[in-house]
Amino acid sequence: MKKILALLMAVCLTVAMLAGCGSAPAEPAQGATEQPAAEQPAGEPGAEKETVTLKVWADQGELELTEKLCNDFAAAHPEKEYVFEFGAVGAVDGKSRYLEDPAAAADVFLFADDQLIDLVKADALYEVTRNSDAIVAANTAGSINAASYDGVLYGYPMTSDNGYFLYYDKSVFTEDDLATLDGILAAANAAGKQVHMDVSNGWYLASFFLGNGCTLTIEDGKQIMDFNSEKGLEAAEAIREFCNDPAFVTGDDSVLTGGIGDSIACGVSGTWVSTAIQEKLGENYGCCKLPTFTCAGRQVQMGSFLGCKIYGVNSQTAYPVDAMELAEFLTSEQSQLERYEKLNYGPSNVNALASDAVSSNLALRALGEQSNYAVTQLVLGGFWVPAEAFGAELEAHTTADLQTLLDQLVEQATAG
Amino acid sequence: MHGEMKRHILADAAARGSLWTRLSFLVMGAGCIRYKQFVRGAAYLLSEVGFIFFFRDFALQYLSRFATLGTETQRKVWNEELQIFQRFPGDNSMLILLFSVLSIAVCAVFLYLWYANVRDAWRAQENAEHGCAIASFRDDLRAMRHERFHVTLLALPMLTMVLFTVLPIVFMILIAFTNFDADHQPPGNLFTWVGMSNVTDIFLGNAIKTRTFFGLLGWTIVWAILATFTNYFFGMLLAVAINSRLVKLKKVWRTCFVIAIAIPQFVSLLLISRALEPAGAINVLLMKLGVIRSPLPFLLDPTLARIVAVVVNMWIGIPYSMITFSGVLMNIPAELYESAEIDGAGPMRKFVSITLPYMFFVTAPATITTFVTNFNNFNVIYLLTAGGPFSLDYYQAGKTDLLVTWLYKLTVNRNDYSLASTIGIFIFLLVGTCSLIVYNRTGAVTKEDQFQ
Amino acid sequence: MKNARIRRRVSAVALNALIAVLAVLWLVPVFWLVISSFRAEQGAYTPYLWPKAFTFDNYIRLFTDRRLFDFPRWLGNTLFVAACSCVLTTMLTLMVAYVYSRLRFPKRRFLMNASLVLGMFPGFMSIIAIYHFMKAIGLDQTLLALILVYSGGAALNYYIAKGYFDTIPKSLDEAAILDGASNSTVFWKIILPNAKPVIATTAINAFINPIVDYIFVSVIMKDNYNNFTVAKGLYTMVDKTNIYEYYTVFCAGAVIVAIPVVLLFLRVQKYYVAGIVGGSVKG
Repeated sequence: MKKILALLMAVCLTVAMLAGCGSAPAEPAQGATEQPAAEQPAGEPGAEKETVTLKVWADQGELELTEKLCNDFAAAHPEKEYVFEFGAVGAVDGKSRYLEDPAAAADVFLFADDQLIDLVKADALYEVTRNSDAIVAANTAGSINAASYDGVLYGYPMTSDNGYFLYYDKSVFTEDDLATLDGILAAANAAGKQVHMDVSNGWYLASFFLGNGCTLTIEDGKQIMDFNSEKGLEAAEAIREFCNDPAFVTGDDSVLTGGIGDSIACGVSGTWVSTAIQEKLGENYGCCKLPTFTCAGRQVQMGSFLGCKIYGVNSQTAYPVDAMELAEFLTSEQSQLERYEKLNYGPSNVNALASDAVSSNLALRALGEQSNYAVTQLVLGGFWVPAEAFGAELEAHTTADLQTLLDQLVEQATAG
Repeated sequence: MHGEMKRHILADAAARGSLWTRLSFLVMGAGCIRYKQFVRGAAYLLSEVGFIFFFRDFALQYLSRFATLGTETQRKVWNEELQIFQRFPGDNSMLILLFSVLSIAVCAVFLYLWYANVRDAWRAQENAEHGCAIASFRDDLRAMRHERFHVTLLALPMLTMVLFTVLPIVFMILIAFTNFDADHQPPGNLFTWVGMSNVTDIFLGNAIKTRTFFGLLGWTIVWAILATFTNYFFGMLLAVAINSRLVKLKKVWRTCFVIAIAIPQFVSLLLISRALEPAGAINVLLMKLGVIRSPLPFLLDPTLARIVAVVVNMWIGIPYSMITFSGVLMNIPAELYESAEIDGAGPMRKFVSITLPYMFFVTAPATITTFVTNFNNFNVIYLLTAGGPFSLDYYQAGKTDLLVTWLYKLTVNRNDYSLASTIGIFIFLLVGTCSLIVYNRTGAVTKEDQFQ
Repeated sequence: MKNARIRRRVSAVALNALIAVLAVLWLVPVFWLVISSFRAEQGAYTPYLWPKAFTFDNYIRLFTDRRLFDFPRWLGNTLFVAACSCVLTTMLTLMVAYVYSRLRFPKRRFLMNASLVLGMFPGFMSIIAIYHFMKAIGLDQTLLALILVYSGGAALNYYIAKGYFDTIPKSLDEAAILDGASNSTVFWKIILPNAKPVIATTAINAFINPIVDYIFVSVIMKDNYNNFTVAKGLYTMVDKTNIYEYYTVFCAGAVIVAIPVVLLFLRVQKYYVAGIVGGSVKG
């Protein structure tokens, strides 16, 4: 028994030792050592080309293009040897996948702007300090604002299309119908078709509240919101009305893309479904800003969020300067234009946005129209679940007192 | 008694041991090597050397910070040349905690080895003094294959158990006494010990968390009972029906049900959950048939969603219990029926007085396991309803959430590890104690030796 | 007499019909999956039930369109991991089950109870710690790590196998021991050859687990999509950005994954039943 135990122990210890030795220098956990995490860029002439390994994250569908752009970047910087690794992590999951293990996360990673605050709190991002004036000048004010926190720029805006608007079937609606939600519902009912909106999703749900003048902000890292005010109650009544309409249908994007042109006449979503819907509707493809809705007897324009996808540089990276240069390159005017051509992503770069190709895109034009009524997404992670709960109550045709529900919503979303 | 002997050996060896035996206190394996147990001695020596390196190069840096879980936060310093806020790594609380747990475990094992080494040296010395044979390496090898065969077989499984289950559990239990949450995420931030505040938070301090916890606990228990009972009962009925002499094509029917469970759950549940949406296939079908006018909120209405979860779980579970019961039915000893027939029992009577009791008896232990599995039935709930419909009464949870899916969401979506760990400990205590009690009282265990 | 025969006839027809209806109910989702995998129209959702056109393209794309989703590679990974972990898990489980069933030693009851309780612990809660252990020895995001993770719990799931071993008559090994065989010989030469059904059960479960798991592989592999298994890989096809274009391909992939599982189940169904219930039945 001892023998086996002893042998086993020896094996264990050897393995553990190897592990200890192997990982100790690589682990950034040793506070005693004063080694900076960042390496100095090698600049001495005549020296061997420095090898820089960078991991980049992009959505599965974006990987091919991202790889191409990275190779372009390497070609533009022949003074160094670049080795790229790629991971399939899109902007939606950026924060959560990053926080699972920051040290193993990508050096340059993608996230949606509403994740910025949590990432800053976790000290996950390098501040954009190099060439920042040019970056600020090149991108829309909204996107720069979304990539900043407390006046400090933390990321490189890649798109500015994270918003929503109305897709519709031209054969069902006239121009006038589309102006008001009532008109839309009447026309859809007349045609025996449905109006799609994912009300049990805080992102879309907020549209009514924002439209009626409610606000969502963040102060001192805490969520501040007034959805339980009188205005909020009016908006909630309007949502209830909408959900109880026979033409109303809920569901995620696949319900919209699957049903439009068939059982569904129009629906609210963003640019990422534009190709699918265009394919479905063909000549009847149409999109425009969101309508007004009847709120306490008045017509009120529906609001929306407008966000962007942002490239950030991991604070754990070994090559911060190279990572920053790469992030800048990946979000340059040229890169954004290519991304628009290949993937239909709406640029945040001012010049790219003004280019003929982009400005003639119907979906992006509708997004642009809607952006006049859109706000930046100042939302903390605690908002989504209660908002979904509230939306689900309305979708299930609740008869509960709306004020109570709204109070609960605000209490939950603003708690810790 | 065992402990007394241990003290005895160490004390004896220190007081009356030879030079080599005493040397074993410092240099492990010395005594064994003196008495020609070279392999054993070398193994002890090697483990000591290994341990010293392990302790110096690995354990020390973590154990020394275990009390505080780190004090130095990641720093940033402006680097004028590079024009960046350069980062200097600080302490990583999570790695300190995790590797401290590992180090303590290794230290404990080493301590035992050290004791064994002194004991072996002392025994070898005693044997030599009394002229008895000292176990050679060959003897040890033989023992490994017979008297000590259980050690040989258990060594590897126990090692995996410690590494993959025990240490992670200890780690998780310790997390419950820290403030490891979204605001204290390593490596950017530190977390530290906070005592019992997470526990008091759930049970006393925080009204909404308390409400969520007990609400979900109630539903979890109801769910576990319903899920276990429906699968057990209907699975048994189905098996009895298929095995009836009246039924043709038994194999074909059984195959049908087996195919249904062979589809991976993440696929079948995704399909079913899509079909149950307001615009999903089932509502479309019902509306086309004219049964309903507007879509039924299968997954939106709390009560309906719970019923749906139980029904879908039947779809998943009944084939399994059907297979099990079929096996049991085929194995009921024929003598039982024969003697009943002699007594003039009819088919109904035979079923009630023989088949049923027999099946209950045989499947009792498996039922406990099923109950626990259902208590923690992550897949069905998470993949079907994701816990929804979410509720404004609950903290980050929905009306069909089980405790286990709630804590999963707390870790994945909210990075609230300390709260999740606290819930985890509670589930563990509850389920572990109950099953231990029930398990040790069922016949299969207490009477195990009688079967053989 | 005639009456009884008619009654018997009626109840036979009724019973057969009932079972047929149930079987259909159980097969509907499977049928739905297969139909979707041949559907020509893209998208996760159609407002009609029956596809407008059928195609074999989804299957072809699954194996040829490797640009974004390298299904063949993931299939290879999965089979490799499943095979290795199947062997390892089966070995470990049988070893533990034999020890608890046949050998008597101090602390045996304690170990059995401890294993039982530890087995109740939801596995995914330990996965974060395991990930960092793996990382410490340089195995993070590798297939080997995944194999270890799937086999790591083997010592806790001895229950069924032990029950089966308990039913193998003890007189067999006692006779062998009298003839001078060691416990080791008994294990290899007597117990294992007599335990085929339970070996089959354990092996099948161990083989299927890596194919259907999604949680563990996500934590271990993180962003390393070259080392994904099919479950994880298929899941990336149905996330928000890909679902419209790839849903039908996803269904095709699911059918491909399900086929070996179905065949395995059918092949060894008999063993499977005997393995699960064998232990408890004879008690």
